Amino acid sequence: MHELLLFASVPAHQHHELLQQLAGLTAMQPRHRLERRLVFKAYRKPGLTNARGGTNQGADIVRLNKMLNGGMYYTQVVGPISEADFDTQRSSSGDPDAAMSGTDEAAGSSYDYENQPWKLEFRDIPEAGTRSTITARLTASATLPKGDIVTPMNAWGYSFVTEYVVEGQVFIHNDIVIFLHRVLQYPIHGQEPHEPRRQLPSFRDMSPLERTGSYILQAAITVQDGSNQELMRTAFQHLFGLREQLKSAVRLEHADRLSLDTRAK
Amino acid sequence: MATPTPDQIKTLEQSRQRLVQLTHSLASLITSLNQSDPLPSWSSLQSQASIISSNLLTLSTHLSENHELLRSISAYPAPEFPTKTHGNMLEQLLRTKLDPRVQDWVSRGRKGDANALAKPNNMLPGSVSGVGGFGNGDTGGLSEGDLAALWEWAPVEANMEARRRNWGGDFTLEERERGIQGVAAELGLRRTLEDDEGSSEEEDEEADEMEVVGVRKSISGTGFEFDIAASGAGAGTAGPEGVASLVPLNDILRYMTTGVLPGQR
Repeated sequence: MHELLLFASVPAHQHHELLQQLAGLTAMQPRHRLERRLVFKAYRKPGLTNARGGTNQGADIVRLNKMLNGGMYYTQVVGPISEADFDTQRSSSGDPDAAMSGTDEAAGSSYDYENQPWKLEFRDIPEAGTRSTITARLTASATLPKGDIVTPMNAWGYSFVTEYVVEGQVFIHNDIVIFLHRVLQYPIHGQEPHEPRRQLPSFRDMSPLERTGSYILQAAITVQDGSNQELMRTAFQHLFGLREQLKSAVRLEHADRLSLDTRAK
Repeated sequence: MATPTPDQIKTLEQSRQRLVQLTHSLASLITSLNQSDPLPSWSSLQSQASIISSNLLTLSTHLSENHELLRSISAYPAPEFPTKTHGNMLEQLLRTKLDPRVQDWVSRGRKGDANALAKPNNMLPGSVSGVGGFGNGDTGGLSEGDLAALWEWAPVEANMEARRRNWGGDFTLEERERGIQGVAAELGLRRTLEDDEGSSEEEDEEADEMEVVGVRKSISGTGFEFDIAASGAGAGTAGPEGVASLVPLNDILRYMTTGVLPGQR
């Protein structure tokens, strides 16, 4: 699948207004979306079919090897959560200091790590060159087993890097998915843990990565068959159309290709 | 019975070329209608239609310019014509009457033409008096004079009619008294229009939903305009409160992709 994207940075003071404008444009109420995102990094070349015989099936093996070992990528594991999953007890105590000095998350939240559904989301580095007015990249996703995800990921050659929470609102405008979101970081007590948290802290303790509270507007079209030029062109036109429509509110632009570079060096 | 002069041959050749162009553009329209899925966009249909119409126009000018010649010229077989092998074509060339199918088209066209021509004669612009004048249920359009009179009359009358009613939103007082459900059914309204009086309970429920503000179809039809042109729109520009995004968009995207914190690079 291919994904075509446009981004814009939305200052905090414009957020509410933009929500209303998008609600008007798309004729729908925003859908709230809250996701845990775990970043994994490939630490060894997946696929161990190295140099086993240069016999008859040579060409196929070479191609396979190239595919498997061609590059190592960062990949994301995404799990939907809700605000109720965050530690509610802590926030009801209403004492932020206690929360900050608290030991590791105590019982009290309803969050069940063992039943957390996960999805693997692979994103290639955006295509270079010609169509630089829009970010286009290859994507793939797959459903993963619930619960502890680190063990299977390790078995596949990926190690846990970090995790964060994405919070935002989704609108659908024809074939465009508009996602107005921001990144929330977990409160850090000393050392960053080396595996996903099994308990979630209080939602109020989550701090936005962008401290002024600004949001990111992302407009995306997913094209099932990226080699179909006709479809791609239509998708391009639709995104450009949206950019025109929102011109007086935000400036949608393509993202810097290297900032979305998923290759692991 | 003279052989045609080079000039005359040139005229014939030109007619042939123009007819070929016309058949080509008609054929391309037909194939695009038959084959493209989804249907071609209206703009492409329109451009094809305008090509065809300009083809028709040049053909018709050409035919009427050389009316004399084309009327008087006639085909006859020379002795050296290969009658045995091209008998069909010879028959076509020697026809004195039109093909029955074509004859049908032509007579239909003539009839339509006669109707259109007859209309303005019996309905002079001056004869229009009051509303009744417009009501004759002919299939053809109104003449220019009628249209002008209608345009002059309608806005004033509509305005006066509107003033006579007591408006409160989408329905008049009379309609409200008769019951909105009935009126909506009568008019064939598929969408439920909000009755802004007498539904305050509903409004309370809706109060916490997003307000739809300031979006309207622009008159030119090119898209939407927002009433509030947001100041400080776009990435990285300072808003009215002087709050610029501290973290550039690209750094946030980089963190989301690889977990590299802004400023760590």
